[in-house]
Amino acid sequence: MKIVGIAACTSGIAHTYIAKEKLVAAAKELGHEAFIETQGTIGTEDELTAQQIKDADVVIIAADIKVGGKERFQGKRIVEVPTHIAIKSPKALINKIEAELK
Amino acid sequence: MNASDVLRNDRIELNLKSDTKEGALAELTELLYKSGALTDKEGFLKDVLDRESISTTGIGNGIAIPHGKSANVIETTAAIGRSAKPLEWESVDDKPVNFIVLLAVNENDKTGVHVRLLSQMARKLASEETCRRLLEAETAEEITAIFSE
Repeated sequence: MKIVGIAACTSGIAHTYIAKEKLVAAAKELGHEAFIETQGTIGTEDELTAQQIKDADVVIIAADIKVGGKERFQGKRIVEVPTHIAIKSPKALINKIEAELK
Repeated sequence: MNASDVLRNDRIELNLKSDTKEGALAELTELLYKSGALTDKEGFLKDVLDRESISTTGIGNGIAIPHGKSANVIETTAAIGRSAKPLEWESVDDKPVNFIVLLAVNENDKTGVHVRLLSQMARKLASEETCRRLLEAETAEEITAIFSE
């Protein structure tokens, strides 16, 4: 699977970045590819490219707040979860999404 | 990165005395206050506890990363504490916490290099291997070195 997504948490300091790392690592381990944009206190980093979004099979939004730029994902399958789900069980989350996409 | 820009040995306590989350947070807040990072320790502690009430900061693997974005912070920094006693923290994996990274962020510090460093430190905590090494580290210098990798 090709995954794109956004991570964003309430304070924009810690959970955003842990969620991103966990999702990217879990995706890699399971043989998928993931690009996750972070929207934190220091601003947006690793902003998704139009090509990454175009190629994606699914969009994962791991956020505790409203994220910016959701219109970029129009027509895409979007899965929204709080950051703690991505932190707690990123592999289970990705496996569940994969099963549902089939 | 160089975590020593935000970590100082006098803000790292490897032998926390408290056996509760609230007690440990108060101890770490005291470290920050004594080392000149805060204007008001009660005010800061309240901001940290307010953040705790929103959602858990126990990120699993025995680690918690509480944080206060607060007007009572003079310089954006962090305090680190380790406790031999397992602390109940409502963690995502339901396990108790032994290692706490308390982030103290100046409310107006939106783009600062220190905020970026704290976010990079948080990022490292996504690795189980890093968490395990932090729990086993024997000195403050060792902890700073792990975060600086």
